[in-house]
Amino acid sequence: MSAKMYRSPKRMVAGVCGGLAQHLGIKVGLVRAIFIGTSFFFGASLIFYAWLWLLVPMADERAGAPAPLVEADGNPRLKLFRPAAGAPIADTPHPERSKTPVGFKEIAIGGGLFVVAFILFGRQMGWNLQLGTLVPLLVIVLGAVLAWIQLDNTRRIGLLSAAKADTPTALLRLGGGIALVIAGVIVMVTGSGSWPLLWASIVASLAVLAGVALVLAPWAMKFWQEFQNERAGRIRETERAEIAAHLHDSVLQTLALIQKNAHSPSDVTRLARAQERELREWIYQDSAHNSGALVERVKAVCAEAEDLYGQAVEVVAVGDAELTEHSSALVQAVREAVLNGVRHGGTAVSVYVEAGEKGVDVFVKDRGPGFDLTGVPTDRLGVRESVVGRMQRNGGTAEIISSAEGTEVRLHLPSETSANEEAK
Amino acid sequence: MTVPATPIKVVIVDDHAIFRSGLKADLAADIDVQAEAATVEEAIAAVHAVQPDVVLLDVHLPGGRGQGGREVIAGCAALLTGTKFLALSVSDSAEDVVSVIRAGARGYVTKSISGSEISDAVRRVAGGDAVFSPRLAGFVLDAFGTAEVAVEDELDKLSARELEVMRLIARGYSYKEVAKALFISIKTVETHVSAVLRKLQLSSRHELTRWAVDRRLL
Repeated sequence: MSAKMYRSPKRMVAGVCGGLAQHLGIKVGLVRAIFIGTSFFFGASLIFYAWLWLLVPMADERAGAPAPLVEADGNPRLKLFRPAAGAPIADTPHPERSKTPVGFKEIAIGGGLFVVAFILFGRQMGWNLQLGTLVPLLVIVLGAVLAWIQLDNTRRIGLLSAAKADTPTALLRLGGGIALVIAGVIVMVTGSGSWPLLWASIVASLAVLAGVALVLAPWAMKFWQEFQNERAGRIRETERAEIAAHLHDSVLQTLALIQKNAHSPSDVTRLARAQERELREWIYQDSAHNSGALVERVKAVCAEAEDLYGQAVEVVAVGDAELTEHSSALVQAVREAVLNGVRHGGTAVSVYVEAGEKGVDVFVKDRGPGFDLTGVPTDRLGVRESVVGRMQRNGGTAEIISSAEGTEVRLHLPSETSANEEAK
Repeated sequence: MTVPATPIKVVIVDDHAIFRSGLKADLAADIDVQAEAATVEEAIAAVHAVQPDVVLLDVHLPGGRGQGGREVIAGCAALLTGTKFLALSVSDSAEDVVSVIRAGARGYVTKSISGSEISDAVRRVAGGDAVFSPRLAGFVLDAFGTAEVAVEDELDKLSARELEVMRLIARGYSYKEVAKALFISIKTVETHVSAVLRKLQLSSRHELTRWAVDRRLL
């Protein structure tokens, strides 16, 4: 027994009996038998069935077995459709039928047989059923069920979107259902089959419908507009919440950290700088312009160096290039050069990237005391190996100019095409 | 840098009082802050009243038609011969930088600049030169392209020398270092930078327009 009732995906008609059986913890067959039996008492169970069909949600299709009754055209319920639920006489339920898809033809034949049987049965019981009332009634039920099946498919999304009826089949179904109901009602109310009277009634009812539509149109428009406004407001609210969340996660956190570390100027600088960089990135996203990924990577490694040593690393980029194996090596070399700059130079570092057709040039400049390149011990891998060696291995060049006023590392990586031309 | 005999008259325009007072404290002794303003209207009034040598102008300002610094420069167009504008901003978007330069500012520096650097920049602007930050130089190179070279005094392209100067500034070189690297005098560097500034302000170069449109400047 499950706490909440759902209609069963393994269904004969709408899965009500299955769902109820599961809900009550009894056998499906028994539930069906009770439904069929009680349907003889003025169709009580039919009404109950329809009521449950309308109000009880479908069990999650994903959770259940993939419904065997779904058609290729995504029209699962139509084939199972029958005019009346319960199917008392002509159509005793066979359990195996629910497993095999049934054609519309069979259902139509079954439904017809059932109707005929019902009429015959009624006649024998002595009811004075007139074809004049029965046929329109049947038509109304047919139309209503057609339209409701449509609603049933998308009911959970909401009435408005359900009414959108985005596929031609759905539109046809909805329109057909409505037409059938209207026709049925008219025929039943006029109570006769005479064509002139029928036409007059159709015209009259259409006029009434048009009048009602005219009266309701402004209200409907207003309702629709309000709905749209509300939706726009909700979108704005979502955006605002997103910005608020971003500020909370970034700026507020950083401000709290800065207050905590107020005694340490270097920490404050580092925090403020990192936050500034992050916020800038968020505000001035210029992604449409920069197609390559090289500049982005260079900025990332510079940000990393900035975070590590608390020195500002200013990146100026002209153009951009794709990130290839060689340019990845270039980025690594830039990283070493920048780290060297902030570590030994101890000042702000300027990085200039120029990517063009001929290749990529990167200049990393600091204003530190400089160092004597020849004085660097051979066992120190830093500059010699990770900058100069790396660039040479990838077909580029590296130059290091150091003086008392600062150090500049110049990296050049020819583009693949220009390198090929030189080779020829 | 030669220090003028008379102090340089400066007006600071920024909507943050904390920043104004901080900047005032940072500026060198030979720079005399005569007025402060926080909005576009206040700024235009103050500049007209004081007629300073240099206006330190924030790009983003409340008031006016919402155009900030550009509007202040436009409102003081009659004084542009005597008064120079130096744009200051936390923003480094191309849109802000280039639009304020094209409106008539003589230079652009970011607010994180140090006290001595900004004093230098003020003196340079007061002397009629242009102040280019590495980032502005980068934007210029991006806009004019790095390959083309002007034949003569053409508005739409940079000369070979101007390109070299811009590249070095983008690399973080000071004017002095640029002069040393190119074996020219600082005065010549300043001339080149001023020429680039003029081109940036006046050029209607097709590519520049497209570049600007790409960045929604126009």
